[in-house]
Amino acid sequence: MIMYMVRHYIFTLTVLRRAKGAKTAHVVSSIKYEPTVSILIPARNEDRVIGRLLERMNELSYPKEKLQVIVVDDASSDLTGIIAEESSKRFKFIEVVHRRKENGGNGKTSAMNAGFKHSNGEIILCFDADYYPQRDIVEKLTEPFLNPKVGAVQGRVVVLNEPQNMVTRLVALERIGGYRVDQEARGSLGLIAQFGGTVGGFRRCLLENLGGWDETILAEDTDLTFRVYLAGFKVAYVGNAECYEEAVDSWKAYWTQRYRWAKGHMQCCFRHFGSVLKSNNLKLGEKIDGLLLLNVYFMPLIALLSFIVGFVLIFLKASMLAGILWFSVPVSFYSFVGNFAPFFEVGIGAHLDGRRRIQLLIPLLLFTFLYNIPICAKAFLDLLGSKIKGKSNTTWAKTQHLGSGNRYIGNQTVTLERTS
Amino acid sequence: MLSVKSVIKWLFSISLFEVVVLCLIVSFQFINLESTITLFVFNFFFASLIFLLNGTVNKKLGMLAVGNVVGLFWNMAFHYFSSAGTLYFGETFEVLYTVTYPMLNLMWVVPFFSLSLCFLPKPQNAGEEAKSF
Repeated sequence: MIMYMVRHYIFTLTVLRRAKGAKTAHVVSSIKYEPTVSILIPARNEDRVIGRLLERMNELSYPKEKLQVIVVDDASSDLTGIIAEESSKRFKFIEVVHRRKENGGNGKTSAMNAGFKHSNGEIILCFDADYYPQRDIVEKLTEPFLNPKVGAVQGRVVVLNEPQNMVTRLVALERIGGYRVDQEARGSLGLIAQFGGTVGGFRRCLLENLGGWDETILAEDTDLTFRVYLAGFKVAYVGNAECYEEAVDSWKAYWTQRYRWAKGHMQCCFRHFGSVLKSNNLKLGEKIDGLLLLNVYFMPLIALLSFIVGFVLIFLKASMLAGILWFSVPVSFYSFVGNFAPFFEVGIGAHLDGRRRIQLLIPLLLFTFLYNIPICAKAFLDLLGSKIKGKSNTTWAKTQHLGSGNRYIGNQTVTLERTS
Repeated sequence: MLSVKSVIKWLFSISLFEVVVLCLIVSFQFINLESTITLFVFNFFFASLIFLLNGTVNKKLGMLAVGNVVGLFWNMAFHYFSSAGTLYFGETFEVLYTVTYPMLNLMWVVPFFSLSLCFLPKPQNAGEEAKSF
């Protein structure tokens, strides 16, 4: 707990010092680097959002002759495939890969691999169907590949439907902490910058060597991050390459998404913990950060255990001091400063972004922390259960996107909302 | 040579700093060690992070001093409340108070920290990217 506290504090301090020192936000490289780029968009029942993204693909400033957009219609039962086909007819650089129910619908990783087989770009970028990128995002995301050590890139995710309700606002705060501070600091300090599964990409040759996306793991992004680092490459974080996402807008959807993340992250921890420790390609700082990153979803479990043990010890009067210690110390450290995005980290991130009103909601992040306790506990127990039974339980629970972000983009895209 | 204005500013800064120190001493002398530690934690985060942001030193010191006063009274109120509760309900109440103590302090530390950030001027270039589609 204390290590997480120190880590987040160092991250916040790093970003603050960097923001204070940097007068220019972004220095554009003088070398013009325009590799061929393939953008993969996995889509399963995304007819409410896919249209706006494909329109946006046409608005990207990257030369279209060097761009290939592949929509993987992953056994959709709605109009996703039809919308994608219509876009493909209008724009030559858009291609559609249809997957039938027999071979599709097995989750994002499977769809990504299917799209990857059809791609031919030197750089492979990925966007989720509910995302809405900046016009020059491809230029920004390809620029770090000038460095031969960079194997992957990650851009920043900003919540599009933030004003919708309290859940979206709190998710936005988490995103601010995670990207504006966490990712940026990791990039600056040369630690493990994380590929987030979307708004990012890879060198084609590296991805081929790694064997593409692992379909047996739920947190394919974390898995790939570690495989990239273990292969001796880095993930570059590009903070000014922003993409706008439609965040989950209900506590139920939040549970589904975080449960998948927690379970997948735990799978990654079991898989990569030893490799990270032994790796010769990682520096000591990267190893420490990597191990902390792998274990982050176990922290709510420790908090839960401390609740239980603390209560038992107090009421059995076994040892008053031990009970208090078990209960209060982890809770205070965790909720006070050690959550996925602790309050000071989120606060400073929001301030650096010039966000004032949303800062007032920071105290409510305590509820998301409390909510994460049962989520992570269930994920752990389910994972443990499947390990004991010897069954791989990697059913992909898809996040539903209702197109609620459309209204925040502009008038031109509002019409894309499905009227039925 | 220092102008009258800058001397006043210095004196004001020193007096605000004194308020902070006074709060720490009072909390230790009249409340308990835990409250002093809480104030230290708050001061540490505030001083090391918020003081790096844009804004005048006096403004930040002023907010820090107000934060300490708020924390002091918060802890004092709960301290007396727990003393009364322990007398009435017995030792169990004291245990519950000790257990929930960090959470109770969270209720003033976090809101005050985020509120303080709202009073500081926005940094240059803030939010430019976020607003440009």
